[in-house]
Amino acid sequence: MTRLMHLRAWASQRADNVLALLLFSMFATFILQILFRRVLGWSVGWTVEWVAIAWLWGILFGFAFVVREVDVIRLDILYVALPRSLQRVCDVVTGLTCAAIFAITLPASWDYIDFMARERTAFLRWPFHLVFSVYLAFAVSVILRSLVTAWRGLTGTMPLPATGPNAESHDHD
Amino acid sequence: MTMIDPFLLAIIIIAVLSLCGLTVGLAVMCGSFVYMLVKGHDPSLATESMLQGLFNGYTLLAIPLFILAADIMNIGSLSDRLMRFAQALVGRFRGGLGYVDILASVIFSGMSGSAVADAVGMGRITINMMLKSGKYTASYAGAIVAATATIGPIIPPSIPMVLYALISDQSIGFLFLAGVIPGLLMAIAMAVVNYVQAVRRDYPIDDSVPLRELPKLTFQALPALMMPVILLGGIYGGVMSPTEAAAVAALYALIVSTVLYRSVSFVQFYEALLNSARSTAAVGVLIAGALTFDYVIAREQVAVTLSVWIDGMELGPMAFLLVVNLLLLALGCILDAGAILLIVVPLLVPAAAALGIDLVHFGVVVVVNGMIGLVTPPYGLLLFIVANITKEPVSRIVRDTMPFVLSLIVALGIITFWPDMVLWLPRQFGYGG
Repeated sequence: MTRLMHLRAWASQRADNVLALLLFSMFATFILQILFRRVLGWSVGWTVEWVAIAWLWGILFGFAFVVREVDVIRLDILYVALPRSLQRVCDVVTGLTCAAIFAITLPASWDYIDFMARERTAFLRWPFHLVFSVYLAFAVSVILRSLVTAWRGLTGTMPLPATGPNAESHDHD
Repeated sequence: MTMIDPFLLAIIIIAVLSLCGLTVGLAVMCGSFVYMLVKGHDPSLATESMLQGLFNGYTLLAIPLFILAADIMNIGSLSDRLMRFAQALVGRFRGGLGYVDILASVIFSGMSGSAVADAVGMGRITINMMLKSGKYTASYAGAIVAATATIGPIIPPSIPMVLYALISDQSIGFLFLAGVIPGLLMAIAMAVVNYVQAVRRDYPIDDSVPLRELPKLTFQALPALMMPVILLGGIYGGVMSPTEAAAVAALYALIVSTVLYRSVSFVQFYEALLNSARSTAAVGVLIAGALTFDYVIAREQVAVTLSVWIDGMELGPMAFLLVVNLLLLALGCILDAGAILLIVVPLLVPAAAALGIDLVHFGVVVVVNGMIGLVTPPYGLLLFIVANITKEPVSRIVRDTMPFVLSLIVALGIITFWPDMVLWLPRQFGYGG
């Protein structure tokens, strides 16, 4: 059991590394782009494409594997005011509904992404199904996490944290 | 009318799931997916709308970079130096540290596009200074910091303005310019409140920094003070796009903090990267949700229906703006500013356009509304942040914030009903509206 926990902690840290690296590469690519375009006067296209890929992956990969419950944007004004028993009902309802909806739509999304294999990005010439494949990881993670939420609601373990004191992570507002 | 049912169902699902505590972005995706399923459309059209929208949303990339720039400035000593400078300049009056906070917020606004980053960084320093002086109550220190942080995204750069540019197809450059005068107006409104409160509560005159130290302090703060000049000069001089300017801002903050001030370690930089990336993913999922919902809105021609309906009520542009203000202020009490901008405002933009309201002006109005929403209870992110820093109960912070909120609403009124004031600066730079 402890080995499993260690493995999880290790995997979670590697996911953190990947996400930080994605943002750093986006930042560095932008600097290169400015250098190439504005200083050297070259025309570059791959930079625009790479930052777009890093952005897409940063969001979906980040949400799937790195973002904690306290980071997300929730409308929890009603939820936090409820007694624990009703919160558990909410957890079961949202968990099962969300898992079901993402599971039902997953095959169609899979087909779309698979279909995109025939198209390639304009500059890097990467097949689009690889670029978009991160959605599948995202959807599977959403399904699993929703099921965990529903399970916790059923068994009454581990309530969701309130967002209040952790508002600092919302520095996009 | 038979067309409305799947749409209504989608709205109900979004509302119920959100209220039950699901992440708003995921709730919106669920609503969009259900709409597609009930309509018998291929649900992957929603996935496509999301993936293509994110992949082609080049201007949105300014968001993570502006977040990163602010995070780097907050770990470096940039903020401290700015505070010392502001203190030397306006700290010598009754309630001086209040003015220091307002001035520092205005300057910091020129570097950061986020109200939360402003409160967490500059705000923390101001609050500590005010408490150390022993002359201000903790709740007042928290209140003024929360209130002045709202200026952050009004004076450019601004993350919410980038979001608005996405949903309204307006120029980020002109939106940024249009925020300058309203931001200054908000600062003046809060200075008036600080003056009244300082007299009423008989706050003593603060120990002032001798004027002869001003040149030295200015020099020390100069690299920080240059940031807005570089940013705005770069954008409006046509040297770089707003997105590239965001990258330059992050690079500049990094260079100044590491090379000049020697205050950022590798570990701190990594933490800043990770924190910014987390924040980006959190808001990114909201954007992704909004992109799936985009398809639904377009399909249902919701905006058209709403325009026709508003047209039928024969509201003038001014009455419409008044209704929008009341609606958004009410929503701001319970919703995140990003959620309002991405989910609610897209429905209002076509109606505003149909009524002949300038969309750059409209953008400033809705963003100011969103920022006031950050200091109105029960859901006011900035209130939570300063309550956390000061260790005061939120209720006491709320009580002291109210005069500032009222002054912000007065400023909002002026911004709403005097479009020429808002649009004056963009017009100087060639805006045709």
